[in-house]
Amino acid sequence: MSATETTTPMQRNGIDIDDTFAEAFPMKATRLIITAHNDTWAQHAAVAATGFATSVIACGCEAAIERPLSPDETPDGRPGVAVLLFSMSGKELAKQVERRVGQCVLTCPTTAVYAGLKDGEPIALAKNLRFFGDGWQISKMIDGTRYWRVPTMDGEFVGEETTFVVKAVGGGNLLILARDTEAALAAAEAGVAAMRGVPGVIMPFPGGVVRSGSKVGSKYASLSASTNDAFCPALAPLARRTELDAGVNCGDVNCVMEIVIDGLTEADVSAAMRAGMDAIVARGAEGGVSRLSAGNYGGKLGPFHFHLRRILGGEGVA
Amino acid sequence: MSTRLHLRLRQPPALRVSLDDIVPEAGADATEVARRPLWLGREAVELGELFDVSAQALAGDATPELVIEGDCRRIDDIGRGMNGGTLRVEGDAGDYLGAEMLAGEILVVGNAGDLAACELRGGRIEIGGTLGDFAAGALPGSMDGMRGGMLIVRGSVGARCADRMRRGTLLIHGDAGDFLASRLVAGTVALAGRAGAHCGYGMRRGTLVFAGPAPETPPTFVETRHDITVFWALLRRSLAYHGGPFAALPARLPRRLVGDLATGGKGEWLLPQMD
Repeated sequence: MSATETTTPMQRNGIDIDDTFAEAFPMKATRLIITAHNDTWAQHAAVAATGFATSVIACGCEAAIERPLSPDETPDGRPGVAVLLFSMSGKELAKQVERRVGQCVLTCPTTAVYAGLKDGEPIALAKNLRFFGDGWQISKMIDGTRYWRVPTMDGEFVGEETTFVVKAVGGGNLLILARDTEAALAAAEAGVAAMRGVPGVIMPFPGGVVRSGSKVGSKYASLSASTNDAFCPALAPLARRTELDAGVNCGDVNCVMEIVIDGLTEADVSAAMRAGMDAIVARGAEGGVSRLSAGNYGGKLGPFHFHLRRILGGEGVA
Repeated sequence: MSTRLHLRLRQPPALRVSLDDIVPEAGADATEVARRPLWLGREAVELGELFDVSAQALAGDATPELVIEGDCRRIDDIGRGMNGGTLRVEGDAGDYLGAEMLAGEILVVGNAGDLAACELRGGRIEIGGTLGDFAAGALPGSMDGMRGGMLIVRGSVGARCADRMRRGTLLIHGDAGDFLASRLVAGTVALAGRAGAHCGYGMRRGTLVFAGPAPETPPTFVETRHDITVFWALLRRSLAYHGGPFAALPARLPRRLVGDLATGGKGEWLLPQMD
């Protein structure tokens, strides 16, 4: 259910900004720093470790690369990548971290892994992976931090013993209503590119964009989520309720894309949404985007409400 | 309110004296401290008979301090079992300096005697001069030596340093006597100067870094040639923080020997100065 109760129209650069909000919910998150001999191998490990992690609905966690790290930003002075992982509970997150690091980082040539947060609830990082060393693993305390060194065929895998879990925010989102696929994709790509410049957030879907936005529940009892029919152009003339006939530019929406944002804090998500909207608005209505909206559940699901107009900093018509 | 307690030794005592229970403490009262009993041989004397005692209030919640001044070579157990605060010895210290210390910081401007930092568990001890034998080792009758914290020695150390050491970091800017890190259980020992005979004898785990000249390789140590770039980067950065000869450890990979093979061979020597 969306709350698109447009009162006073608001436009920015010819694009309608819906009077609605993105509804987000609490998650647990951690940041990992993966380093390697060079950028390529750090990327390989990070991409693998954050693979199949688009939605907690079926992946166990939501994860993605936050940003690449230069050698002077990493503990061991090598190129690295910061990744963020989000889950609905600390326990599930701990399980995902161990599996993903064990199968995708430990296995990747030359890599090492470190905690990217220094505060929070500790969970195992290399603490249990050390047993792969079959007794040859070495523990090392350096400046109060315990590392495990596990002999591998390329030398040794070094991993920090624990990482830290913090409360986080998941499910921030932005809906891009556009004239056609080309316009929607271009706007979404511009939005995601801008959001990637904001620290502390990830956009976990492929390329940062999701085309199968969902609503809660389904006519099928076994499904917890199903297609967001209110925003499906195919269903505009058929569904009981559609969101595609509202606003000044109604009637010219044939493709909708969504950007989902998970962040370490509410402020991070808000900053990312602002950056994304600014980038899309800057392209103007001539880019084929007619409206920006957001997905919510009427405010009944999550405590974090990101009002588009407030984030953009104005209620009036630009 | 926090206090800086100042003890000035009037003259070196004729016999050895233990200062076991005198540690930095908040709200220390000079009069009360001066009445505390010390054993001078078989005779109990008041601390005030040996030391001039004064106390000074420190502002706010500052860390309590203890300053000991004078020729304290016969004063043993300085900072023993200390659990916080700062202790400064303006001169030399006797045996058992900082033994079983849990937390806090000890700075000795001069030298210290035998068994310094024995079974150190936490905190930081820095010695401006040299240490006697058995530093960072185990107390007589105990199985494990230093088991946490950090010991920095600007000068040299005697024999059996870090014997049975289990955890923590020991940096020696000068030379080391015989049997350095013998029976080492774990932890890190970095030596800038020359090592005496039999270093690493019977070591089980742990890391010995020889920032200076490499010692002769014993027959029970063998070289491994694998890539330890990551670990070396982490360790090198940590050691470099302490400056001196450790600030210039080369980024290139050190030679790595493992041993003592007679006791499992999981200990390692890192030899960065490859000629």
